[in-house]
Amino acid sequence: MRVKNIALLAIMTSLCVGIQLTPRPPNIEFTSLICFLTGFLFGSFFGVSVGTLTMLINGFLSPWGFGATNIPFQILGMALIGFVGGVYRKSCTRAGNPSVRWFSLEVSFLAAFLTLIYDIITTVSYVMLFDVNIIVALISGAWFIVVHVVSNTVLFGTALFGLVRIVSNVLGEQPWSYKKEVL
Amino acid sequence: MELQKRSLIILCLGWLASLALASFVAGYYYMEFQNLNELLEKYESVIMRVKICIDYKELNETVVWYNDTIVPLGCNLLQATETVALVNSTRFPAQQASFVYAINGVWNHGAYFWMWQRWNGVQEMWEYGNVGADRYRLTNNEIVRWRYEIPNYT
Repeated sequence: MRVKNIALLAIMTSLCVGIQLTPRPPNIEFTSLICFLTGFLFGSFFGVSVGTLTMLINGFLSPWGFGATNIPFQILGMALIGFVGGVYRKSCTRAGNPSVRWFSLEVSFLAAFLTLIYDIITTVSYVMLFDVNIIVALISGAWFIVVHVVSNTVLFGTALFGLVRIVSNVLGEQPWSYKKEVL
Repeated sequence: MELQKRSLIILCLGWLASLALASFVAGYYYMEFQNLNELLEKYESVIMRVKICIDYKELNETVVWYNDTIVPLGCNLLQATETVALVNSTRFPAQQASFVYAINGVWNHGAYFWMWQRWNGVQEMWEYGNVGADRYRLTNNEIVRWRYEIPNYT
């Protein structure tokens, strides 16, 4: 990997951690977006790395308190998002890149699903700690999950494509050619 | 072809996520409903249900009913009304009663006043209350009405 890419990766990780540690409304976050983006641009391994590192640091420094037993589950969930970013990119390369609108639609749907999976994974840690039924735990936090899923769906759908283009320009390459919209 | 297959899979995953979310939200409100029902059963011996009508017919042809309003046992009419409406009133110690000036922003004006009545189930007619609303203790299943009107009792 080129030095420029490594530097960009470091910047993304610090950006991710910075935003993650900034006081914000509960369950509205940009970490998933950046992890997915990293996975998409640099491959699954880097997506997983950024997700793992971010959630590890976040677990100790989060303004919401020490993550404790939640940390491994947060890492697993975020790493999965980064991993899927890479897999999605591969699928795009293999099957032909979708148009911008179709790409935005696909990633927003994917974001909804991945965020839900992330929330289910992190709920499992709560279930293990407090010995409650997982369905009851999921239902109790229904509105938190809704806020998380909806915010991520909107974020991915509106921001991911723009971010891919910006990072590609910064790298000075065209890692992903996209079909222009025919209006 | 593969693009379509991938898109289809992703759309299905998104659809599944939305279904799961809808189920969680429905479950949340079902659980809340069950909890509130349990709470209600627990307090059944210290609550009563009354019907409160607020009649703005003289003002704008509106009549609003608050059926099955749950209030504490021994609650007076003023307190019960305050659970369903915004009431402006002043207590006059000399009369040991409160005077109601406005309900839900509709103020006594000119010859118009807020008057309260209770339903006489035996004679099947409305009767004017003969004390201040805060001096009238409601009973279970009682029907009462606030009317914005020119008082016509004798």
